[in-house]
Amino acid sequence: MNLDALTEEGIAALSDAAGEPSWLRDRRLAAFKHTLDRGWPNSREDEFWRSTPFDRRIDVDRDLVTTGSGASAPGGIVDGLELEAAQLRIVDGSVVEATVPTALAEQGVVVADLADALTTHGERIEQLLGQLTTADAEGTGADEDKTIGVNDAAFTVGAFVHVPAEVEVAVPIGIHLHVTQPGAHLPRILLDVGHHAAVTVVLEHTSAAGTDALVDEVLEGFVHDGATVRLASVQSWHDEIQHLSLQKLQVHRDADVSTVAVTTGGATVRLRPETDLVGPGAQVRPLGVYFATDGQWFDLQPYVRHIAPHASSDVLFKGALQGDSRSVFRGNVFVDKDAVGTSTDENNKSLILTKGARADATPFLEIHCADITAGHGSATGQIDALHLFYLESRGIRREDALRLIVFGFFREVLREIDIPGIEDAALAAIEARVEAADLSAVQVNDAALRDAVSA
Amino acid sequence: MADLEIRDLYVEADGAEILRGVNLDLDKGKTIALMGPNGSGKSTLAYAIAGHPAYDLTGGTITWQGTLLNELAPDERARLGVFLAMQYPVEVPGVSLTNFLRTAVNAVNEEDVPVREFMQRLRAEMAELGVEESFLQRSVNEGFSGGEKKRFEILQAALLKPQLAVLDETDSGLDVDALKTVAEGVNRLSGPDLGTLIITHYTRILRYIQPDEVHVMFEGRLVASGGPELADELEAKGYDEIRASA
Repeated sequence: MNLDALTEEGIAALSDAAGEPSWLRDRRLAAFKHTLDRGWPNSREDEFWRSTPFDRRIDVDRDLVTTGSGASAPGGIVDGLELEAAQLRIVDGSVVEATVPTALAEQGVVVADLADALTTHGERIEQLLGQLTTADAEGTGADEDKTIGVNDAAFTVGAFVHVPAEVEVAVPIGIHLHVTQPGAHLPRILLDVGHHAAVTVVLEHTSAAGTDALVDEVLEGFVHDGATVRLASVQSWHDEIQHLSLQKLQVHRDADVSTVAVTTGGATVRLRPETDLVGPGAQVRPLGVYFATDGQWFDLQPYVRHIAPHASSDVLFKGALQGDSRSVFRGNVFVDKDAVGTSTDENNKSLILTKGARADATPFLEIHCADITAGHGSATGQIDALHLFYLESRGIRREDALRLIVFGFFREVLREIDIPGIEDAALAAIEARVEAADLSAVQVNDAALRDAVSA
Repeated sequence: MADLEIRDLYVEADGAEILRGVNLDLDKGKTIALMGPNGSGKSTLAYAIAGHPAYDLTGGTITWQGTLLNELAPDERARLGVFLAMQYPVEVPGVSLTNFLRTAVNAVNEEDVPVREFMQRLRAEMAELGVEESFLQRSVNEGFSGGEKKRFEILQAALLKPQLAVLDETDSGLDVDALKTVAEGVNRLSGPDLGTLIITHYTRILRYIQPDEVHVMFEGRLVASGGPELADELEAKGYDEIRASA
């Protein structure tokens, strides 16, 4: 079945082949019907797609990859997690491994193939699946574009993570998604964290070299009262992958969430880390780092919706660009009329290393409530010649000085990441980019020099 | 031939001529104080020696131990033993102080000092300068007070062991106690292998660091030279007399 020509019969067959319950089959078909009257995003008309030309960067004329390929996932961050960690590996259209250590299983922690979990936790999944993408409840699920609708209708593989109330999972849960087959991959991840539970989830994305594929991913997560969730999404794709990802969390009373997106791989990555703060006192810290090089296009759209009062959010994304790469930061913070006492801040900084790269930033605020504190800002610039001179004047060679300054730029974000392995992985990914860069082509901002002149 | 020889030096910045024919000799083991009113060109000379990219050498030469510095990059000069303690040290966001210092020490020594050995040296120098251990967790000059920045400049000099130290208004913005600590730090560095050029507007730092010679700069030229007594004279009379006679 081609992603651009989904059919009712095809989706029904997909659901039947997986032996899914009728409610899910019905939901898939309902979602499919909903997509019928929608075209793919039109970058000339759709505000959220304005900065990234959908028809040039995303190819939807691809067959769905609905089965496994027998390939195995390479080592990576998830592989390096501790032995007592729960892990799940998806390769192409199937879950090839789901391991939950006994100690966690006994506490009711589930990390499973969504298809299997339908048997064991069907009722829970029926309550949650699609609520943030299709329901017309709080948030904007009903307005989602076709890229989300097709995942609702035809997701090809899924994972279910459930942490029961008051269970604190000490070591990160790893989910590794590896792509080796060309075509369209529609993975679906459902995260259900009970009240006063605590968990860290590392979602790693890799592909085999030369695999030309579209990954249209949806992660839907529910963070209940007082829970603590750390979510890291690492995009380490090879350069042919087109990746659309909605990572949407619904955060309830007094829950504490931080997310970090580390994006260095992929041809086009459009990432939407979204949070609906629906309970009073909820807080979210969406972080992101990115390093784009020749040919890459990263579109980062963190979105925070303050639905409940006295919630707080603080968005920080920083990235470096070189070659002819592009980055788009389209952050949005929405504050509902009843969200009194909201505190929010939203910032994006991009470092243009070489001529030809371009970073667009639009940090939006949409505020319908007077009684709040809000800030936002964006900055795009080059390496400051005064910083460079200071380091060079201490004997540090220009290339080493540039390296130190670039790492320093990222450190503001990286030092906030308290997820084992992620800071190192992010640094290593950035280091690889810096090592490969032609530092002699780096452009330096001389403007500050003139201001510094004094006799 | 002196270790540092500056001959008929002309320097421009942002299109304006600031130095107009400066001549100066400094040998290792000696300390020279360069004084003068604001805007006379003292800092320009310091930056010209260090190779600041905003200052163009339009005439004359700067020679250090027989090597012409005019066309050398700042890092090359530093590896020849030249060090500038800056008047306004810049904050370099996120660059870890420890990492910065170690990279600099390794570059100047042309060898990798083992981390353990480096940290021991660093801690020892920090203790001498009364710099708190918590510095190690910070980024280069980020959020430092004026006094902390000046101490950090001297700490760098102590680690890099230069042969020529140019101290550009290192005393400015320091209270008396901090001034003493910094001056003691400079004196510890002194010896037969270090030439020191102290640039200052006021004489108070010269109460703690004894210069061998004092030179006075005005409108981009050296207009008076003498022994330490010249500093006392300036203290008593101010710069107005120089202005009048120039």
